[in-house]
Amino acid sequence: MSATKASHAIGQSIPRLESRDKVTGRTEYVHHFVLPGMLHGKILRSDRPHARIRAIDTAAAAALPGVFRVVTIDDIRTVIPHPYYGPAFHDQPILADGKVRFAGEPVAVVLATDRHIAQQALELIDVDYEELPFVENEIEALHSDVRVHDTLKPAATFPDLKHLKGVRDTNVALQYRLDRGDTEAAFASADHVFEHSFKAQPVMHTPMEPFVAVADMRDDRLTLHTSTQSPSFVRIEIARLLGWPENRVRVKVPHLGGGFGGKLYIKLEALVTALSMLARLPVKISLTMEEQFFMVTRHGCTFRIKSGVDKDGRLVARRCDIVWNGGAYADIGPRVTQKAGFTSAGPYDIDNLTIRSSAVYTNRPPAGALRGFGAPQTAWAYERHTDIIARELGIDPLDFRRRNLLRQDRPQATGTPMTDAALLPVLDRVAQLLDWKTPLVRSEDHILRGRGLAVGLKGITAPTTSVAIINLYADGSCGLYISTVDMGQGSDTVMAQIVAEELGLDPASIRVINPDTDVTPYDMATLGSRSTFHMGNAVRRAAADVRDKTAALAAALGLPEGHNVPPSELLRKKYGMQAGNIVGVGSFIPDYQKPDPATGQSQKATPFWGIGACGAEVEVDSETGHVTVTKLVSVGDIGTPINPRLVTAQLSGAAIMQLGFTMTEKMDFSDGQLTNGSLADYKIPGLLDIPVSFINEYVENTQGTGPFGAKGAGETSSIALSPAIGNAVSDAIGAEVTETPLTPETVFRAMQSASRADRS
Amino acid sequence: MADFTIEYPGTLAEALSFLDPDDPSVRPVGGGTALMLMMKSQMFHPTRLVCLSRLSEPMTGCREDGDHIRIGAMTTLSQVEHSALIAAEFPVIHNAMKNLANVRVRNVATIGGNLAHGDPHLDLPPIWAALGAEAIIHGPSGQRSVKVEDLFQGYYETDVADGELITEIRVPRLPGWRATYRKVTTRALHDWPAIGLTLAARFDGDRIADIRLVLSAAVDIPQRLRGAEEVLRGHRPDAMLLARAGDSAAAEAPMEHDSRGSVDYKVHLLKVHILRGMNEIGKG
Repeated sequence: MSATKASHAIGQSIPRLESRDKVTGRTEYVHHFVLPGMLHGKILRSDRPHARIRAIDTAAAAALPGVFRVVTIDDIRTVIPHPYYGPAFHDQPILADGKVRFAGEPVAVVLATDRHIAQQALELIDVDYEELPFVENEIEALHSDVRVHDTLKPAATFPDLKHLKGVRDTNVALQYRLDRGDTEAAFASADHVFEHSFKAQPVMHTPMEPFVAVADMRDDRLTLHTSTQSPSFVRIEIARLLGWPENRVRVKVPHLGGGFGGKLYIKLEALVTALSMLARLPVKISLTMEEQFFMVTRHGCTFRIKSGVDKDGRLVARRCDIVWNGGAYADIGPRVTQKAGFTSAGPYDIDNLTIRSSAVYTNRPPAGALRGFGAPQTAWAYERHTDIIARELGIDPLDFRRRNLLRQDRPQATGTPMTDAALLPVLDRVAQLLDWKTPLVRSEDHILRGRGLAVGLKGITAPTTSVAIINLYADGSCGLYISTVDMGQGSDTVMAQIVAEELGLDPASIRVINPDTDVTPYDMATLGSRSTFHMGNAVRRAAADVRDKTAALAAALGLPEGHNVPPSELLRKKYGMQAGNIVGVGSFIPDYQKPDPATGQSQKATPFWGIGACGAEVEVDSETGHVTVTKLVSVGDIGTPINPRLVTAQLSGAAIMQLGFTMTEKMDFSDGQLTNGSLADYKIPGLLDIPVSFINEYVENTQGTGPFGAKGAGETSSIALSPAIGNAVSDAIGAEVTETPLTPETVFRAMQSASRADRS
Repeated sequence: MADFTIEYPGTLAEALSFLDPDDPSVRPVGGGTALMLMMKSQMFHPTRLVCLSRLSEPMTGCREDGDHIRIGAMTTLSQVEHSALIAAEFPVIHNAMKNLANVRVRNVATIGGNLAHGDPHLDLPPIWAALGAEAIIHGPSGQRSVKVEDLFQGYYETDVADGELITEIRVPRLPGWRATYRKVTTRALHDWPAIGLTLAARFDGDRIADIRLVLSAAVDIPQRLRGAEEVLRGHRPDAMLLARAGDSAAAEAPMEHDSRGSVDYKVHLLKVHILRGMNEIGKG
């Protein structure tokens, strides 16, 4: 189904279809949504990191004038008998069930017609806690006597987790393993062995639109209006909780004000569903920005990495031990553990590999997917490690990388070949943009300058399905029905361009119907850089189906081949008036081979490779450790761009976000309590933090299996940005930084310990 | 947020009549930028807010008064930022505005509210203190004035009683003095400072004839560093002397650990910025 005519829509930087509505304030968001009789729910959250609940006294709150009802897990059980959910493990209760596992966990909800009254009533609820010892650190949790959960409860939907059902006395939810070659023997015979440990911190997604959901339960039908990235999953999981068929649950999603992996799976949906069932009225919960910190976070992790290098500077063996701080509930953490695990040895050609990647429960807010699915945390470790090795061997870091990089079609750690993966081009382009071979002016006054680069890769969640429907109406205009969520990335525009290309229409004339599970077909979710590739392929097939059906209709009407009668005329001929539809359907699931559970080996572990390289120049204040990133370069392999401007926006957006995770953002905890849970104290980058020289590019490449050669671009510049800056900082100060964020104090301490080491 | 009333008095007397010396849930509102955040975070539940936006001179504007400059408490930070008088008399105030909050906040936040809030992380109060400014306060028993340096009594606590209002700030003109405010942030560039350090000095040739140092943000209230001032006063500020001043400052400032940095690190920053600040104003 290759395009037969010259491209007119693909490769064009057309403006986003929704941009005018957005900038004029007319875009529909769930926060604006109001239903007659709707109640507002406010959540009482645990102030203990780990405690048994002896009793909850709701009487005073319920008596406050204006309060409709106060709800605890006991009430929820009357409508949902088994109130536990989760994409990988059914471990998360809709409200705390006899126990709280992190400070911030929802314990009770007040329903009122006025949200201020609901808020006020929260202060009248008295919870009697019996405090339990708690565990926060992922390494401690491996061996701690504190158990976050008594038994593991894997979801039936993931067959590969089935063996974990009922396992007791552990905080390890899952361990991912990969073995290739003979790592120990290769270490023994290596000329040099290096071992380092790195840490990455928990951070928050910080969508500007906080989580929000409305449930409207009417008799035997439920409608959810929710800010989710995964409408199809929400319907399936809510139907499971209710024991209903899918067709009684409707999930509608307008535009989102950002998601970044936070708004996946079940978040507020199960809670508002239960509340609407109990109240027999529509119920809305809108979180505040501050409450978002307790919903889902990025995993903090500890990564120990060990490498063997031969006398020619070639990597011969690597062992990766990663422990992920999954928080109190698994969310999609086990998948992060696996997906980030399998690329955790980096983009290098190494024959002998051992990878152990463990998801660990702790008494912290749950951790899930965040722009990169763990790949940025692993790249922080393996690319800092790469620089340290190169420096110690006296090899230029660029040359060392080029010497060891996985070349086209070479097998990656899993055995899957590096097909259509432009690792070398992105790395070389970054080096060129940094003027790598020209020496820097190293220092001036109290400024130290440094330069660094890094390259990384990411596998894509697999196998996942997308389905698209194109409905060509009687006048020849058409609607595209997809459950891909446009959360700011511009998917509506890209999908319209694909339809326009295939059907010879103007992209701006395509009506993209936003997710509504009663109307739009199944899509796994909008996550992990998958939409352009998966849904793009499905949309293309749906368009081909429209073309085939149009041709069949023409043939049935007796028209000769090569006729130029438009579809609207064909329908008029068939029905005698402006009537009818031509409906095309397309679905896509990539080729996939399940990894061998013992070794992690698979010939098709990922539908495509996410590839990105970054470079940075920094100035470090030698007296205070303050880092100024003066130049930041990201170069991605995004295949062939469908909309170049949207691709560049994705690259720069991910780069700014990752800059925050590298320099300023960290969820600070003290005694199990989050201490900086507001945007006044949790600092995302502002305009002033964006480097003066900020370059975002892509290299020319073609993803053979992608629609028009495209692949996903949403996470490309997330992957290698942190280590590029870390490498530049270490280059500047002559000391190793091993932990993000690179706050002035962190850098200052690294400089101090290096100067102490020099003196001794 | 439960129901509350809001009053818009037209005169100072009327404003004072709406306040209640015995009820901390009755509060005056300047620009409201701080109060709204406290209400949003459930830290403050008002029963009555007294909005001062309709009050006029002397509550608004900047004017000369002999050897002083007077600034009405309801003057917005933007008005001060763009006042030619302030830029000429107190360039340190003018310069601090650029990195203070953002233009939307500066357009509504007021000079008086900024003082009365008592937040130790704010940029202007320590500068006023270093300039020797005083706050004019009106209350049921008349008018009084308090040096800004003495206004703060603890974390978010001031000498302004319930029922009282700050109406003006009165700042002595300081011919021959040079001052700088060093806002040291340690996370995003635009952030609350980890430490704020105001240095104001008058030089006699290359000697420091007089000096005031005020530390803010890392301490509960803006604090004069008198020991360090003593080390510096009357001397030529060479590196040795500045290091001694830094040691003295570190010893007299009870700084606290927070997400902006450890105590050790803040002590280090204080020493570095005493040196850099003195070099800055020493160059004239």
